[in-house]
Amino acid sequence: MSLLPINRPVALVEDFGAAVFENVDLTLFEVFAHAARNGPGLIQGRTFKGCRIQGPAIILVSNGVTFDETNFGDSRGDIRNLVLKPVGDKAIGTIPMRDCAFIGCEFYGVGFTGTDEFVAQIVALPNSL
Amino acid sequence: MTDTTQTPMSAEEKFGRELVARTTFEKEAVWLPSLAVHHMNAGQTFIEGKTFTECLIEGPAVIAVMNGTTFDTCHMGVAQNPRTLLMDPRGDMIAGAVGMSNCRFVRCRFVQVAFTGAREMLDEMEKDLASAWGTAVQA
Repeated sequence: MSLLPINRPVALVEDFGAAVFENVDLTLFEVFAHAARNGPGLIQGRTFKGCRIQGPAIILVSNGVTFDETNFGDSRGDIRNLVLKPVGDKAIGTIPMRDCAFIGCEFYGVGFTGTDEFVAQIVALPNSL
Repeated sequence: MTDTTQTPMSAEEKFGRELVARTTFEKEAVWLPSLAVHHMNAGQTFIEGKTFTECLIEGPAVIAVMNGTTFDTCHMGVAQNPRTLLMDPRGDMIAGAVGMSNCRFVRCRFVQVAFTGAREMLDEMEKDLASAWGTAVQA
């Protein structure tokens, strides 16, 4: 059975430090702020299932991040609108994520960046998303 | 007669509306993602017409520098290579960035913030950053 679209009522997050977020709505920068206050400045080892994930945020997709049945957001007809590429060799201003799984999630106002390989994968997605 | 049909505004909503209505910020820390969300909640897809003077502008955020936004004597961020502060959009539109139009930053300091925008703006900003970085290295 398809997990998308998410039609449930709004559900707020109670613990931004949770390892698993399921069927909740969250702003990514609040998860990051919680993580940064309690450890390194990245979101690591989390699972997001059936979540609506709001920006503004640019996710730096690092090792071990997977997307399963995900709506990356409104691309306005061009999937490249969801992607940025760092001009230098680092990605300041982004939210780094490592070893995270997104399952049946919808993104709102979120952009993506990462390695050239990742950027190429996103750009190759169909524009109908 | 008292109008009983209106739902009282929550403290958070009141705070958000007041924040969106402000046009000047001075000597204060501004958490840019939060400011952007309050604007979105108010139906404004970008931040417009604000002046930030001697503020600490905190991310994580990527500012989409739009028409009329200026930076006057600002510390744009810590980077060994100033190009690190820039992001190049792959499409004509930019998802996930905080759009800022006709905003003025005066003697502000940016932390965990990068910048993006049209190709010409990025080229100009890269030149300015490289020039400022060269001056700082020589000093």
